[in-house]
Amino acid sequence: MTAPTAGRLDPAAAQDAIEYAYAQGWTDGLPAVPATRELVDRFLAAAGRPADEVLSHLRQVDRTVTVELLAINAAMAGCLPEYFPVVLAAWEALARERTTGGGGWQSTSGPAPLIIVNGPVRRELGFNGTGGVFGPGFRPNATVARAIGLTVRNAYGIRPHELEQATQGIPGRWSICLAENEEESPWAPLAEDLGVPGDAVTSTLLRTSEFVDNRHTAAPEQLLADFADTIGRSGPWIFRHAAAGLVLCPEHANLLAQAGFSRADVAAWLAEHSGRTTGQLAAVGKDRSNENGVRFPGEPADPDEFQRTIADPASMIIAVAGSRNAGISMVVRYFADWSGRPVAVRAAGSTTTVAAAEDGARPRPGAAAALTAEGR
Amino acid sequence: MTDTILDPTGRAPATGGPAPDGTASEGRPAVRLAPRPDSLAGARIGLLDNTKHNAMLFLQAVGELLVEEHGADSVGIVETKANFSVPVDEEIISRYRTACDVVVTGVGDCGSCSAAAVADGIAFERAGLPAAAVLTDAFDITGRTMAGVQGAPDYAWIRTEHPMAVLSEDQVRERARRLVPEILSTLTAPGRATGEGA
Repeated sequence: MTAPTAGRLDPAAAQDAIEYAYAQGWTDGLPAVPATRELVDRFLAAAGRPADEVLSHLRQVDRTVTVELLAINAAMAGCLPEYFPVVLAAWEALARERTTGGGGWQSTSGPAPLIIVNGPVRRELGFNGTGGVFGPGFRPNATVARAIGLTVRNAYGIRPHELEQATQGIPGRWSICLAENEEESPWAPLAEDLGVPGDAVTSTLLRTSEFVDNRHTAAPEQLLADFADTIGRSGPWIFRHAAAGLVLCPEHANLLAQAGFSRADVAAWLAEHSGRTTGQLAAVGKDRSNENGVRFPGEPADPDEFQRTIADPASMIIAVAGSRNAGISMVVRYFADWSGRPVAVRAAGSTTTVAAAEDGARPRPGAAAALTAEGR
Repeated sequence: MTDTILDPTGRAPATGGPAPDGTASEGRPAVRLAPRPDSLAGARIGLLDNTKHNAMLFLQAVGELLVEEHGADSVGIVETKANFSVPVDEEIISRYRTACDVVVTGVGDCGSCSAAAVADGIAFERAGLPAAAVLTDAFDITGRTMAGVQGAPDYAWIRTEHPMAVLSEDQVRERARRLVPEILSTLTAPGRATGEGA
């Protein structure tokens, strides 16, 4: 798209169009780009998929998201047409999450999609995967994530204070979209490790992101123990297990890789060491779980028994993103479980087929991971 | 040249123009409440638990009180929802229609389950079963929005103080006892064994 020339613009008309969208209740609080037929057609052309193709249906509100509705909301969010295949892959990846077809978008938890982009498309479209990756400043990251939020609001009709009942919601809601820093990662791209090489989106819903600042040690176990301590905190732990992953900065990822840790090794170590003792959990009334998996104060038991936070190491997303300028990584806590299945990004005319993406996708991680924070 | 701004909601033709009222439900028949019995004498009670903490305890306490003190015959069916976010389907409703005469459901105390409890109450009414849906008072707006989505914007449910999940067993039983008169009056129409429009 060629940037318009300042002299030929009509700012008053633009302001009217922006206010029109506000008056209709269509925006998330920020100005939205007016979506016209001509603009949306360019989105549709970029993806090469039928406008009326149904992507998802939410039964309790009987509302449907089609390719065209997603395109309109992506246009409003400020995406360029060429971002649309990434938005589509993100929506489809989120649709694989159990909770997005249930009450996830309405939840008191106010969860945020985590959208991780892999492949050459990151560079072609200018996604940020390095410094400030959780922050603003980059149009693809900001607008792809926002497109998801606008679609939930507009196409599903789930709006704050109405059907959306977030108690507080989480910082970064509708804004967490990051490219994996494949260039400075010691491992294969995340989606490739999960069976979908090339351009792909991996996604789940988060309850929060919490930093671990560790830049004083070269001992991998000390670094991992710092992650384990954060993952094991009792606050987020309302069911028998809780689910979490890591967005590692390049420095941490390389420290671990040089010590011989693969992605799976990191997950296995953290699954084994993250948790609390029964005594520590008793102090907060969460030492036992009932038949529904909900934690509650139990009977006296061995206070030194260690209870693991993570049910299944395969449920951990271990991504690499950020600048290589300090040892600061993020623990990302899931809202519920994670499908474990990335979605290939398919632009119009792309040679990647649906079948290849499907065949390559792993089965979902252990069902045992399901007892987490959904819908609380 | 002027160009039309497209509607992102899917509720209006993509040629533009304002969306219809976001909570209106077009094309569905108006909801009429199911006909009410004079009393619960001899009635079979149905309980639908939405899995939220204390919900089953509360519903069973209500069921016991309706049987012991208000002449109901029995609790005829108790089920726990597989997904508290999603309203009951035809299959579940038909089981209730077979096994009970009135339904008590809840407790709505989360974002999606409150909305779904309202939708459940309306679905039971549509199927001819008088229903009392119980929600905590933190979810008035989401309940009212869902009532609009379901085409019954004035649907009335039983409101109780938030929160319910932290109450002790004795407190839950006390809560049940306190709400039974309102549940009873919601499920019956003394002297007037017919339904009224919602």
